[in-house]
Amino acid sequence: MNFLAPAAFAFAAAIPVVILFYLLKRKRVVRLVSSTVLWQRFLAETQASAPFQKLRKNWLLLLQILLVALAVLALTRPYFSAQVKPAHLRVVVLDASASMQSTDEAPSRFEKARAEALKWVNALAGSDQMVILQAGATTEVKQSATSEKAALRRALEACAPSHGPTRLVPALRMAESLVRDQRGAEIHLFSDGAVPELREFENKALPLIFHRVGVRGNNAGIIALDARANPENPRQRAVYVSTANFATNAVEGELELRLDGRLLETRAVKVPAGETTPQVFIAEQTTDGVFTARLKATDDLAADNEASLVSLLPKPVKALLVTSGNRFLERALRSVPNAEVSLAGGLAETANGYDFTVLDGVTPAVWPTGNVLAFQVAQSNWFTSVERLEGPAIVDWRYTHPLLRYVGFENVQIAESLAAKTPGWAVSLLDSPQAPLILAGELNRQRIVWVGFDPLNSNWPLRVSFPIFVANAMEWLNPANAAGGQLLVKSGEALRLPLAKPETTARVTFPDGEIKTYQIDPGASEFVFGQTQSQGVYRLQLGDTSMTFCVNLLDAAESDTRPQDSLQLGQFEQVEATTLRRTNMEVWRSIAGIGLAILLLEWWYYHRRTV
Amino acid sequence: MPDALLTPELLRKLEQLQLLASRRARSSLRGERRSRARGQSVEFADYRDYTPGDDFRYLDWNLYGRLERLFLKLYEEERELPVRIFLDASESMNFGEPRKFDFARRVAAAMGYVALCSFDRVSVLPFPATRSGNGALTAEESAARGALRSVRGRKSALQFLKSLEALTAGGSVEFDATLRRGALEARHSGLAVVLSDFLDPAGYENGLNALLGRGFQVDIVQILSPEELNPAVFGDLRLVDAETGVIQEVTFGRYRLKHYQQTVQNYIQRLREFCQRRGIRFFVAPSNTPLEDLLLRQLRKAEVWA
Repeated sequence: MNFLAPAAFAFAAAIPVVILFYLLKRKRVVRLVSSTVLWQRFLAETQASAPFQKLRKNWLLLLQILLVALAVLALTRPYFSAQVKPAHLRVVVLDASASMQSTDEAPSRFEKARAEALKWVNALAGSDQMVILQAGATTEVKQSATSEKAALRRALEACAPSHGPTRLVPALRMAESLVRDQRGAEIHLFSDGAVPELREFENKALPLIFHRVGVRGNNAGIIALDARANPENPRQRAVYVSTANFATNAVEGELELRLDGRLLETRAVKVPAGETTPQVFIAEQTTDGVFTARLKATDDLAADNEASLVSLLPKPVKALLVTSGNRFLERALRSVPNAEVSLAGGLAETANGYDFTVLDGVTPAVWPTGNVLAFQVAQSNWFTSVERLEGPAIVDWRYTHPLLRYVGFENVQIAESLAAKTPGWAVSLLDSPQAPLILAGELNRQRIVWVGFDPLNSNWPLRVSFPIFVANAMEWLNPANAAGGQLLVKSGEALRLPLAKPETTARVTFPDGEIKTYQIDPGASEFVFGQTQSQGVYRLQLGDTSMTFCVNLLDAAESDTRPQDSLQLGQFEQVEATTLRRTNMEVWRSIAGIGLAILLLEWWYYHRRTV
Repeated sequence: MPDALLTPELLRKLEQLQLLASRRARSSLRGERRSRARGQSVEFADYRDYTPGDDFRYLDWNLYGRLERLFLKLYEEERELPVRIFLDASESMNFGEPRKFDFARRVAAAMGYVALCSFDRVSVLPFPATRSGNGALTAEESAARGALRSVRGRKSALQFLKSLEALTAGGSVEFDATLRRGALEARHSGLAVVLSDFLDPAGYENGLNALLGRGFQVDIVQILSPEELNPAVFGDLRLVDAETGVIQEVTFGRYRLKHYQQTVQNYIQRLREFCQRRGIRFFVAPSNTPLEDLLLRQLRKAEVWA
């Protein structure tokens, strides 16, 4: 039990006064009298007339009647119907992200937060309502608005922490919609404050009360894991592991790398306080497998000490170049290692045997179903209208896009280009004042890179950026890469897997060994799996094909378990962690009831003693 | 000194009074009271035939002259009236302002003085008869008590009053037993005056009945202190009985005063009714009652004396 006004304990000084009164009362004045006969008769007569006697004017009686009346009045919970006072709404947002599994609070931050929230449930006043939201990677409404404490308790008991990141924005957005225009409504966030940007809620006057859990941020974890071909030896894999330390002291431990459970290497690592240490492991890999990196160090959060990655062996990229002749393009394609380029003058089939198709100014009879790099051709359903543009000037390009990595257009001139408005499925990579010149996007799960101009109508092929762009495009359009990316899922996010042919059931083996079977709608074109709350290696049996995917935390913000004293809402607003506004522990009813019982007892005792 | 108990004016007034006994004196000693016995006095009672040996001086010679027969004149013998004053000298009588015992002694003195003036025999019996412990009787008091056992004649009045003054109160008493013993010890019945507060837990009925059974004319004066009638102490009290040591805890407030007074009146009324049924003359006197009011008005009105 906590106290809203501990200063009121000063009133406890009244207790000795009461005791003093009782001492005075108990200390009877001793009187020597001639005889007690008359007194005995007097007492006997008053007793004989019991249980009833004439009511006398007695201040003690009046006071006690007043007390009883007040207590009874309080117990009847009086209210004024004239003043319509809406019930207060409390929205409890329980952070269920991975960082809440830190054990700096016993037994864990999440359990502490849950216990705190339970106290608030217990303290819920009669007509007040409460909503319980669980905020992990996704926001779940565990209990809609109710004043039924049992349901609220059940809902809180049903909450469970996940390995996902904190996505407070949707939770707060939902909470805000619930408390909007409600007077006296409050949002109680039980979290460690390890949350990303909340700029959206600046100046919203959010009635947010932040209950901080967590006492320290003693945590180190793996925040990045990647496996690529070793540039020096294509048969080897380079596994990149980044370890970050958010504690105030340096962390020493061992970093071990396993491939399919087999220990490959153990390395002692020392991560200085507040820093990140990258490690690159070189490993031989002969088959597709799962790399698991594990940090063996003592810290509060175990969830981020392990990460897994499905590493597929590189396969040759098979590209079909449909061209009427472009040596620059052909050479650029062939220069990419591990590429098999076929040439064609036209396209009459869907080019199923190729990983992607390059359409160099040739409009195919049959459009390929795979990924496409298209130069100066446009399918009618890509754009609404296509115009021609003379001598477009290049004003900007999106250098952050993977396609334009190390690609610049500083001194590229273009004689002529197709011009189309940027459709919804694509983003513009290269802009002229009139129209985008290069677009990239995904339409019906088909990756498309559209270049509006013929490279030969520009001086781009003469620039070093052209082969780099082609190499980038090959990597981006390679479906194997895309699939490999799909196999690394952040916890809390969904795995989306295109179905090559209709499937009816999917069997998923969870990291803890549990097996679940899911029915798939016969018409579905992709399998979406959302139960990725816990991290680890999942195995998916889809029809007769089986595959492995990994769910990882890999979130620096989540690994940073330092409890925050305040939540920053945008630039100027912040919500301090509350310690005082604990709860309205409304136990007055019980206290009043006990007081009434004591009063009656005192009455009885007093009566029995005197007469 | 006599004036300590009774003022000279009061003594003078008392001298004119005489105890009225509703019964004939049965004492064997001569006094000034009419009795059923025949003897020597001036009051003619009857005649009887002369039998040899009778005193010739009582022969009625005039009658012999007319009837020539010898008749003897009989006179009423005047006997004394034994007055036994039972004086409660227990510890409880030490209370009150003025003290109940003082008041009782003054009443006893007044009654005794009236009796002595009528040449009646007065016995003052303070009870308890003996005391032990700290309050044991002194030699002086024992002597006074002895002197008070039987006093007669007006000339003894001074000594009588002195002896009364030497008495003190103390100890506890068994009221009934004392009165029963007093009734048995008396050779002749007479007037019994009981001066007490009648606050014995064991009751008073048996003792009074014993007196009545012995043929006494019983007068009683219940003496209560003003504090007993109207207590002035309130609050949580631990009352200690001065005689028995019994402890009674009581929480007493002003609002219960009336109730208490009612209790006291009930107690007095019970005693009064008891007395009325048995022909006992009953008086109640708070110890602060003016003595003359009791002696000259109440007792006179009740024809204790005239």
